[in-house]
Amino acid sequence: MFAFPVPARYTHFFHFNREGFRGSEVKLAPVDYLILAIYFGFVLGIGWRLRKSVESSRDFLTAGRSVPVWITSLAFLAANLGAQEVIGMSASGAKYGIMTAHFYWIGAVPAMLFVGVFMMPFYYGSRARSVPEYLKLRFDEKTRGLNALTFAVMTVFSSGISMYALGLLLQLVLGWSFTASVLLSAAIVLIYTFLGGLTSAIYNEVLQFFLIVLGFTPLAIMSVVKAGGWPGIESRLPPVMTHSWKYMGDASQNPMGVEVFSMVAGLGFVLSFGYWCTDFLVIQRAMAADSMSAARRTPLIAAFPKMMMPFIVIVPGIAALAIAKMNVGYALPLKGDGYDYDQAFTTLMSHFYPSGMLGVGLTALMASFMSGMAGNVTAFNTVFTYDIYQGYIHKGAPDAHYLKVGRITTVVGTALSVMTAYVAQHFNNIMDFLQLVFGFVNAPLFATFLLGMFWRRTTGHGAFTGLLTGTGAAALTHGLTVAEHKGGWIAPLHQFPSTMAQNFWIAIFAWTSCFVVTILVSLVTKPRPAEELQGLVYGLTKVPRDTGVSWYRKPAPVAVLVIATLLLLNLWFR
Amino acid sequence: MLDLRTPTGWFFTLLGLILAALGVFAPGMRASLTDANVNLYCGVVMLMFGGVMLLLARKPS
Repeated sequence: MFAFPVPARYTHFFHFNREGFRGSEVKLAPVDYLILAIYFGFVLGIGWRLRKSVESSRDFLTAGRSVPVWITSLAFLAANLGAQEVIGMSASGAKYGIMTAHFYWIGAVPAMLFVGVFMMPFYYGSRARSVPEYLKLRFDEKTRGLNALTFAVMTVFSSGISMYALGLLLQLVLGWSFTASVLLSAAIVLIYTFLGGLTSAIYNEVLQFFLIVLGFTPLAIMSVVKAGGWPGIESRLPPVMTHSWKYMGDASQNPMGVEVFSMVAGLGFVLSFGYWCTDFLVIQRAMAADSMSAARRTPLIAAFPKMMMPFIVIVPGIAALAIAKMNVGYALPLKGDGYDYDQAFTTLMSHFYPSGMLGVGLTALMASFMSGMAGNVTAFNTVFTYDIYQGYIHKGAPDAHYLKVGRITTVVGTALSVMTAYVAQHFNNIMDFLQLVFGFVNAPLFATFLLGMFWRRTTGHGAFTGLLTGTGAAALTHGLTVAEHKGGWIAPLHQFPSTMAQNFWIAIFAWTSCFVVTILVSLVTKPRPAEELQGLVYGLTKVPRDTGVSWYRKPAPVAVLVIATLLLLNLWFR
Repeated sequence: MLDLRTPTGWFFTLLGLILAALGVFAPGMRASLTDANVNLYCGVVMLMFGGVMLLLARKPS
């Protein structure tokens, strides 16, 4: 099923399979339900307390650019952290080993540094309220329209898929009704985003982040200790599971089936930069910060916890595999002729957490789902209200009108997500197909933004043609190559060792063709005059200088610190 | 505007109290793979975290 969906949102490669999944019989006590209820109470209470801070559409949709930097940083991280990620990443840890950490280290941190240091001045410094609106100011209407429409559809789709995953998980592990869990969690997210808008979503994301860290860290510690520490894990598993770089030279040496070039160029550059530097879902959190300096530091500060996330979500999966080999009464559930890796996390939880802490762990899982969903809903309502409704349907109305539209869109977006969850439940093939198409649309995006921000000669026609060509190139690559029986619908010219390698190469081809075509078309079309590009392009924008503040309040030194930590981690687990 | 540290502090203090109480009054509640009093230790950590958040919220920043 959802094998490695939507490459740009690559962290969500969740592949739950309903058939053959046997629930792990987790039994909850009344106190676990009490903890869940307390959490719901606090989340709704935060929304209720923030309802008075919403007076205009800007308050509702952009948080009035007034949120402190520590809050935007943690929200930047949490909005991307869905329940699928926790379950999917621990599953990958059990399946591929510590190599999975590349999705965080190579596949996120460098891009987060780039967006903070180099791109945020253009996003935050321009008058744009959203990423598509930036495209309109920089290029033209058609480029913005393309981006706004595809983004709106993809966001609703993503939140529907994650809702489906959550409903399925709770149904299978706890025996809860699919409909009840989907409707209850959607209703709670809807209420607090409806009341307090983006501020409420961001505040709750931070609460959810703390709960995720405090709820899952004990599990990581206990499972690693049980397995005899890192040396104990190393002694029980094949060496490929505990090294992130050593077996990357050739695709046949590692279970992921990828080699170092496609990992660094495909994941580390194209997909990662395409997501973290252009996806409004995350950029929106940084743009809500209370100053330019805070907006720039948001992704940089978020990079520290991001680098550490593998220890909370991936390492338990690896430890689960080691513990399963120890004969202590724990076994990874089976599925078909192999392990059911998706159950690694929940079975560990039920073996290490007694009632009480089990309720906290389960609440944290629901929290991670809700933060992901609220992220999607708040990004969707902003892009719909400002870029689609105000842009093409009804221009020039008073602000109160757009505030109302924003609120209605929140309800409609949530309803559409619930519908998507049910479509996903019944028509897996449609979902697979849509995820494939969205992957094609997302792959070339970063080339457009890179050229748009750093080469003032880039034109709207160039950007638009480049995007279409890049999407076409992605589809063509998929049609001409095969991996694990996927693709090759035009002619199977080349065989990839894994769909992951195929996805990385699709991204590389899409990005390159978008990059080349955008340059060529820009050279033969008329550029916009320099005065229209003030604040939008490098060279025509005053680069902010933070003078007279301590070093840790400046973007560059924080970025250097992030790079040093990243290098240390990679050397440690090389 | 609401200071986020206040609700965060109260939430984890409450959670910590419940878990620590379970750890003290029902120390027999154990999961199969560990002998540690998980609820007690986690409860104390959450109480500390909640307390620090409330303390930070009291100081005018």
